[in-house]
Amino acid sequence: MQGGLIVATTEWIPVMDDASLPEGGMQSAYPRGLNVVIARVDGTVYAVSGACAHMGCPLFTGSLAAGILTCPCHDWRFDVRTGEFLDAPEVRLTVYPVRSENGKLFINLG
Amino acid sequence: MPNIIMYTLSTCPWCRKTKNFFKQHGVPFQFIDYDLADEATQERIMAELDAHGANGFPFVRIGETVIMGYNPGRYQELLGL
Amino acid sequence: MTVETRKQTLHYFFAKVVDRLGYKFTPDEDLRDFLLEQEVLLEQKHGIPFCPCQPITRERAHNMTLVCPCIPFHRAHYDAMKRCWCGLFVHKDVTDPDSLPQIPASEVKRG
Ligand code: SF4
Ligand code: FES
Repeated sequence: MQGGLIVATTEWIPVMDDASLPEGGMQSAYPRGLNVVIARVDGTVYAVSGACAHMGCPLFTGSLAAGILTCPCHDWRFDVRTGEFLDAPEVRLTVYPVRSENGKLFINLG
Repeated sequence: MPNIIMYTLSTCPWCRKTKNFFKQHGVPFQFIDYDLADEATQERIMAELDAHGANGFPFVRIGETVIMGYNPGRYQELLGL
Repeated sequence: MTVETRKQTLHYFFAKVVDRLGYKFTPDEDLRDFLLEQEVLLEQKHGIPFCPCQPITRERAHNMTLVCPCIPFHRAHYDAMKRCWCGLFVHKDVTDPDSLPQIPASEVKRG
């Protein structure tokens, strides 16, 4: 059955030019108004929720080193590849699938 | 009566309970609220906490004995109440 | 923002985090209310909702392990007590928080 819902849930939303995200860099994006952080680590692009799992601080204003994103507010550290909080992996950021096509990055909010 | 000194925080409910315990039993004590103390005093208190492996407050010294955390049973025992 | 609204905001954020860690807010309402209020006042003073029961110093790395909920940074200690140091959070199966004593970290590590 081809329902409208299925189309909506598998939609890929363009967020930025692939070339505008350098290796080791991160950027904020707001697909459908949702705050996400997009980062390139070892050549692969990852997307996670942009609001800290602690108290919601904007993570893109923090720092990224070797795939570890540190929140600017109270230094909670997250692995952008898995979304895991390093000091308690049960606490995690939502991870969104990303793909690159025709020079653009697309994100799937699921 | 042994000398009693305690380190506490003005924000900590267990510190309040500790002070109340001694007050209710009519036992005189001295205290310093770490958060309201000057920097030199804070450093001295931290050094003492670290030496005992204390993570938090209250920190009570009854004579030579240190009790970390709110522990009315121990206070009673040490004071023979 | 009033102290009361900010308490509710902290409650909202913290409940989500501690749930994942196997903890819940203490059923002792007076204690919960008092501690949340102290945290809001500490946040107004320092910009950060620090622990009301443990010492902040001049060292940032130390202080960041004492931002509520600080459970992730003191897991073995708090799991042994079935509560956090302040008692704001207890293990999910705890119904009688008054029965849980404060055990200093040094004694827990000694076993
Ligand atoms: S001991 Fe409890 S109340 Fe104090 S900061 Fe840690 S989690 Fe929060
Ligand atoms: S809001 Fe990110 S560490 Fe506190």
